[in-house]
Amino acid sequence: MRRRQLLWGLAFAAPWLIGFAVFIAWPIIASAYYSLTNFNLFQSPQFVGTANYRAMAADPVFWKSLQNTLYLTAVGVPLTLLLSLGCALVLNLPVRGQPLYRALVYLPTIVPVVVTGYLWRWLLNVQYGYVDRILGLLHLPQPDWLENPRWGTQAVLLLTLWTVGGPTVIYLASLKNVPRELYEAAKVDGAGAVARFRHITWPTISPVTLFQIVVSVIAYLQIFTQPYLLAQDHLNSSSGGPGNSMLTYSMYLFQNAFVYLKMGYASAMAWVLFLVTMVVTAIVLLTSRRWVHVGSR
Amino acid sequence: MNKLSGRSRALRAAAGLAATAVAAMAAGCGNGSPATSGGRTTVTFDYLWTGTEAQKLQQIIAQFNASQKQIKVVGVANPDMQKQLASMSSSTGSFDISDNFGNNVGSWAAKGILTPLNGYMQSAGMSTGDFIPAAMDEVTYKGQVYSLPIAVHDFELVYNKAEFAAAGISSPPVTTDQLAADIGKLTKVGKNGQITQLGLGNPDTGTTLTTLGYVFGGTWDGPHNDAPSPQDPGDLAALNFYTKNITDKYGAANVAKFTAGWGQYGSPQDPFYTGKVAMIIDGEWQPVMISENAPHLDWGVTDIPYPANDPALKGTTQLTASTLFIPANAPNKQAAFTFLKYLTSPAAMLKFSLALGNLPARTSLLDNPAFNSIPNFSVWLQALKSPNVHTLASQPYSQQYASDLATALNSALLGSVTPANALASVASQAKSYGTP
Repeated sequence: MRRRQLLWGLAFAAPWLIGFAVFIAWPIIASAYYSLTNFNLFQSPQFVGTANYRAMAADPVFWKSLQNTLYLTAVGVPLTLLLSLGCALVLNLPVRGQPLYRALVYLPTIVPVVVTGYLWRWLLNVQYGYVDRILGLLHLPQPDWLENPRWGTQAVLLLTLWTVGGPTVIYLASLKNVPRELYEAAKVDGAGAVARFRHITWPTISPVTLFQIVVSVIAYLQIFTQPYLLAQDHLNSSSGGPGNSMLTYSMYLFQNAFVYLKMGYASAMAWVLFLVTMVVTAIVLLTSRRWVHVGSR
Repeated sequence: MNKLSGRSRALRAAAGLAATAVAAMAAGCGNGSPATSGGRTTVTFDYLWTGTEAQKLQQIIAQFNASQKQIKVVGVANPDMQKQLASMSSSTGSFDISDNFGNNVGSWAAKGILTPLNGYMQSAGMSTGDFIPAAMDEVTYKGQVYSLPIAVHDFELVYNKAEFAAAGISSPPVTTDQLAADIGKLTKVGKNGQITQLGLGNPDTGTTLTTLGYVFGGTWDGPHNDAPSPQDPGDLAALNFYTKNITDKYGAANVAKFTAGWGQYGSPQDPFYTGKVAMIIDGEWQPVMISENAPHLDWGVTDIPYPANDPALKGTTQLTASTLFIPANAPNKQAAFTFLKYLTSPAAMLKFSLALGNLPARTSLLDNPAFNSIPNFSVWLQALKSPNVHTLASQPYSQQYASDLATALNSALLGSVTPANALASVASQAKSYGTP
């Protein structure tokens, strides 16, 4: 009976199992092997041991792409959390037109990313873009976002922060779950808004914050579409922007895999990215014990 | 009948259906035999051209199909090079013949992506003696021909006659010193320090500066065109010429800000057509583009100026080739070669070149009077007869080299690094080419 139930269970799970094995597990195992080979996709791979990893260590473009990606992650993740939490707190206030404001904040998230990328190429143009026009009206510096290596990475950040609507919605849902009686009790005890946020709101939503951090870190470490579109010179070309300032790790991986046809090197890069992601995620999870409040803790 | 046997029958039926579905899918995946249509072998021609160029190409395909009864060519416009590569990576390809650029031939040939053509050409009695030698150099890798050029492109100095007249310049520059002087006269800076017109524009950084590298006697791939040589003195001289006369003189940030506001290349808002740029170094497609987008532009074209202290460099230009190839996984290679031979024959090549406004890849066509209908085309045509026609090497490292050069040259033009340091960085990266 049990065996029959097991077989039935496996039979129903078979489509997913087969799909996982063929499209996820096998490519992962294969890429681990290819990372130890010289492989161009059109000929049989030649085993070269750790040569790809050693070449990576000596590749200045690899380090530049890693530097750009880590910068985007280190700056982008806190800014994303700050902005989304701030928006969620404001959008949680009982004001007239609240649904409209929430929709407006979320709207950029549902615009296709390619459209967003090309739109921001126009907005950030130093000659006719609206961003510098507004900065000029406020008597602020008007950077060459897309031409100056110092501002290329910041341009990518602007584009990613424009879509904080997604994390905002998640925070909004978590704010709804904070028990109101805690706020009432705190008010009775004389706690102000800041104190209520620090001692009630923040600890209660800390599990959601942990989730946001982990998801954002992974997203920033893998970022590709936005910088690719901002930096693109013309069709069928892959550029890293001025001074490779917009070249992210995933973009360089894509260049090696599909432009230079160095699949072995690209596979090695993919495994390094996986290790970096695991290490960063592990650090976040280990440190979370100190600040994430779960249940009655 | 009990429930157990009923379930068992259902399971067997489901398994049978699944097996049938898998078998049907497998049968649909790949078929080694040539496709036919009405008794004719079908050859799929997947090309990168689009728009009006694709329409003109379809006319040539229709003429080929009407001229014989053995092969039917089906043309498919597909400008996505990634999709092109992906198709060539499978065991059976989705097309039999396609086009690309000569600088990719070495890289693709080294990876076994292309079908070598020597055997096919020998069987067909086809000679390559009439093709432009520099173009054949691009499509030959380790003694084997892997592509044939359908058209070539070279670069000359295109200038705005009205702007020249307004600046009091009676004739276009002949030497690089005169070019430098004219850049100064033709660059206009407003009262607020912002540039309103550049003397020499830059449609494509890589092409302009690599061409200037040759103009100054440099070489980008060593004396045998087989190893990167970005630090060649001529290359450095070219980059120094550009930075000294443009970006350093008027401010790299100023120039970058001005060029950021340019309209799209080849559109009615092109900076050369709208008077924002007085001179460009560009290819033979300009006459057709100007007639379509700026028919009232008073323009001229001349040889790229050469250094006065080295007259032997007169007539220097860079050549690139549009090439046709048969992928290694093409299902109908022989039929594809028959079509390839037709397209590169003098008659078809002439039609193709005239239709697209490109240069023919055969020396016998360079003096054909049919090209007189295209304004100023003869300057580009005759330039192909110069002994100073250069091509970038078509080697396995070419794509990575082009990418690294583009980044370095851009950094030098932005003033982030000196020209010498920019080229030195490329030389340093070039040491890793050829390693995994």
